[in-house]
Order: sequence, then structure tokens, then C-alpha cells
Amino acid sequence: MSTGAPTLEVRDLTVRFAGLTALDGIGFTVRPGTVHAVIGPNGAGKSTCFNVLSGVYRATSGSVRFGGEELTGLPAHRIADLGVARTFQNLALPPGATVEDSLMLGRHRLTRTGFVAAGLGLPYAVREEARHRERVREIAAFVGLEDQLARPAGTLPYGQQKLAELARALCMEPKLLLLDEPVAGMTAGERRATAAVVAGVRDSLGISIVLVEHDMGVVMRLADSVTVLDFGRLIADGTPASVQSDPAVVRAYLGEEATS
Amino acid sequence: MSEPIKRLRRPALWTAGAVLLLALPFYLDRFWLQAGLFAMAAAIGAIGLNLLTGATGQLSMGHAFFLAVGAYGYCVLAGDSTATLTGLNLPSWLAAVLAVALAGVAGGLFSPIAGRLQGAYLGIATLALIFIGQHVLFNAHDLTGGFNGRDVPPLSLFGVTFDESELLVAAVPFGSAEKLWYVALLALAGCALFARGVLRGRPGRAMNAIRDHRIAAGVMGVPVARYRAGVFVLSSMYAGLAGVLLALVFQRTVPEYFGMILSLEYLAMIVIGGLGSVAGAVVGAVFVSLLPQLLTRYSDALPLVSAPGTGGVAPGEASRYLYGAAVVAVVLFLPGGLVRPALRRKTTTPGE
Repeated sequence: MSTGAPTLEVRDLTVRFAGLTALDGIGFTVRPGTVHAVIGPNGAGKSTCFNVLSGVYRATSGSVRFGGEELTGLPAHRIADLGVARTFQNLALPPGATVEDSLMLGRHRLTRTGFVAAGLGLPYAVREEARHRERVREIAAFVGLEDQLARPAGTLPYGQQKLAELARALCMEPKLLLLDEPVAGMTAGERRATAAVVAGVRDSLGISIVLVEHDMGVVMRLADSVTVLDFGRLIADGTPASVQSDPAVVRAYLGEEATS
Repeated sequence: MSEPIKRLRRPALWTAGAVLLLALPFYLDRFWLQAGLFAMAAAIGAIGLNLLTGATGQLSMGHAFFLAVGAYGYCVLAGDSTATLTGLNLPSWLAAVLAVALAGVAGGLFSPIAGRLQGAYLGIATLALIFIGQHVLFNAHDLTGGFNGRDVPPLSLFGVTFDESELLVAAVPFGSAEKLWYVALLALAGCALFARGVLRGRPGRAMNAIRDHRIAAGVMGVPVARYRAGVFVLSSMYAGLAGVLLALVFQRTVPEYFGMILSLEYLAMIVIGGLGSVAGAVVGAVFVSLLPQLLTRYSDALPLVSAPGTGGVAPGEASRYLYGAAVVAVVLFLPGGLVRPALRRKTTTPGE
């Protein structure tokens, strides 16, 4: 699928909303083909960071470079065109559409059929549709949703809906995948299954992954490196083991008194 | 029921429906043909509005404006030049095509705004189109004929002129309504199939994504503003074609007709029929446009409805109350519109 994903470099990224500084000069680097976790207490700026990376929010200053491209200032769909896909913390799947059609939306950037071709049912549009539905079925099988393709996404259990959203992001054939709390609200079994899928994405597809997650078990198991944010500031950056024992991190999570 | 019979049932129903629609001009009188033509033209306009409002979530109050562009555009392009009216005297089929294109161009001129505004805000912006449009219609006398409107030149296609000159088909005299019936039927079928293709294909998925979750649509690679603008143009062209057909059916266009009420009627059609689907638009259009005709025809037999001008509730008024009530009832009890309960039953049976 994607060989040699580019490096993602975040430098001095600052985001302010009317006086509130959500991100204050943070920076980190995601090496190709690794899982990089961004963690921190609630309100630390993790979701803001994702929204800047995917073009939903504008950065006040700083830079985000992906390969040779500067992402800050690009609209969301241009960032998607560069091979950056994301999932949402709260589901963004239309409940009425079938899983297959939801995943087909992920193929949007890879397909060309316009209004006229689709309206007239031109042969190339029909062929393109069939070819990409084939690929969608493969990706659904990769995450274990091949039997749910014909069901409306809204009728799936919560865990499978999150998996469907992950599959939809994979359908974009991304080079960089941003996962916003992929296992939140899942049962223990679903968590294990999803973590296995995420590890599989990195290992067999070579996609770089940025992961925002509260579940420390999943973070420690999956992440190759970890960035810790607190109140919009970067307080630690390193391997899972070094970050876990960092006093600043322990303070941020457990409070001042708990350092003893 | 056995599997093969079930599979044959759908095409069989479609064929039966098509044969029925094709045979109607041989049996119906002029009144019902006019009503049917009116419904078919409205259905085309409603499909266009449903692409924009139902499928993409962009409210438009300006649909009447684009209907007017189509109707008057056809009159100006196909009409004769007289002392008081401008007309380009083009072949009428070409004028019809160009009128639809003209509606598309008008939509295109507005599309920078349509691309940037979301949902209800677009609705407010498009209100301006109605007011500007009606002002022009009332005052650009040499193009529109002013308050009294202008006559609509009859369509002629392949040597057949769709006017009152009677053509005997299987011993049935075909006037303009009978002949136009087939043109309208063909146009509606084409428009419905085109819209269905759009909705089921890549553009439809992008449109629904914009409606359901605009931010996610952008993140999935859908250029949101460009799609909104594109759908706006497409929807304008549907309205333009509906306008041309309405003009041909009425044989005269008057500015009074293309007001806010008309835009509201089209919104009522798609809400009653079902938002976001072709079938919903057609069912809603038939309901909303046939209701006043039915009430007019049977006003003496219905309680509380009296002939126009006799003091009681006039049929037009009564029908407005009725579909006002229908909109409320549909929103409360059938959020998917008239076509959706049938769909839901169909999709759940195989699973159970």
C-alpha cells in the first residue's frame, strides 16, 4: 500500500482561541512507520493538536511539515489528499448509511467520478465503483468487519462502529493515520481486537500513526514514542518507559502530593 | 412467495406503472392531464431541490427564482420579437436547452455564496434571490411582459408542434396536453435516473457526508465548498427545466407565480415526500401539486370547501391548510417522509 511514509514534524505549534492558549509552542517528530502516542489529562490540548494536523483548526503560529509539505494553512481536503487520515473521538459515521457506503466515502480522494459521469452511469464510473468496492471489502476484512458491510452503521455495537470509522480512514490509503481515542468506550475484548488492528496497520501496511488515547495499557503496548501534554504545554517526550517514570508526567496525572 | 417471483416483482411493477403512465393520455380528459403535467414538472423541480436540501443539507428559498429563469428564459429565447417584447426567435428545442443552461449559469453566479454558506444561512441568503427576481419580473417589461406576463411559444420537436393543432392518434385527438405528456414523462424519467445515479455514486456519498458531518467530510477529502457550489448549480438546472415545462403547460408565464409561496411549496414537497431521495421528491411533488386540483374538482362534494369567490374556504386555501398540516404530521410521525416507512419495511424483512 504505502511504502516509506514521510516524517511528520511539528515545530513550535501554538493555537489560541480568543485569549485561551490551547497549545503553547509544542513540537514532536513522528518517524515513518511508527506509532506515536499523544497523551495528557483532559484539556491538555490533544484534540486541538489533531484538529490542527487535519486542517480543522488554524494554527496561530508554528509549523507542521509532512514530507515536503507545510500543512498549516491548507484546507482539510488538501491535507487528506496528501495522505493524512483521521478518526474522530465522537463517531462521525452517518447512522443510516451502510458500512460499505461509509467506507466508500474513504475512497473519495482516490476516485474521480463527477456529477455527470455518476448521473449518466458512464461505463468508467461503473468500473471505478466496482473496483473500489472490491478494495473496500478487503479493508473491511482486514479489520474484521466483512460480515457487517451491508448493515447500516448505526445498528452496529459501539465498538464495531469505532472500528468502522478506523476502516473508513484506512480506505483513504493514508500515509499518516491520526486516531483520536480509538478504544474509548470499548469492552476489554474490543480493546484487544482494536489494538491488534492498529499494530497490524503499522506492521503490515507501514503507516505512521499518531494516537491520542487515555487507556495507558494500550498506549504502552502500542506506542514507539510518547508525547505528554499538560495545559497546552509539552511536558515530556520519549519512549513509553522513560515517559512513564518522568516525574513531571506523574505530577500532571496524579497531582503534586503523589510524587512520593 | 418464492425467490424468483419476488425478484421479478419489482421490474413487473415498474413495467405496469410505465404502461399505465404511457396510456393515460388516451383516457384522461384535459383537466387531469394538465394536473398530471403540472405534477411531473413539479417533480423535476423537487428532485433538484432534494439534491440540494435533502441530500446535501443546504436550505434554499430561491428555487422559485430558478424556475422563473427557466420559464422566462425559454419565452425570451424562443419568442418572437414584437414592438413591446424582446424575443430571439430560436428553435424552441434549442431555447429549452439554453433556458436550462441559463438557469445553471444563474446558479453558478450565485454559487460562490452557496459554497460558503451553510444550511439555514444559505436559506436566508437565497431569500434575496426571490425578491430581486420578482422585482425584475415585474419591471423588465420588454423581457418579461411585466405584470401581465408573456405568452409561451409552443415547443416543437422533430416536426411535431406541441400546440392545440390536433393530431389523431389511434382515433384519439391529441392536443397540446396529450403531446406534452410524453415530453414531460421522458424529461422526468431522465431527470430521476440522473439524480439517482448522482445520489448512489461518489458525488452522492460526498453530499450526504457534507450534510451529516461537514468536518468529517472535509477530513475525508471532500472539497466542501466546491461540492456545495456544484450541487447548487445542478439543482438550479433542475429548477430551470421544471420552469420550462411549467411554462409550456400554462402557456403563459406571470411574475406573480414565482414568489416565496412557490419556494415554500417545493420545500413542502420534499419534506412530505422524503428528504434526500428521488422517490421522496416525486411523491411529495405529486401530493402537493395534485391536492389543490383535487379539491377544486370536487369542491362541491366536500364539506367546508366551497367554490372560489363564494365566501367559504376556497379550494386553494383549503389545500394550503391541508399540506401545512401534512408537513407537520410528516415531521412528527414520519421523519423519513411518505416514502420511508415502505423502504424501512423492505430492508428489515430479510434480516428477520
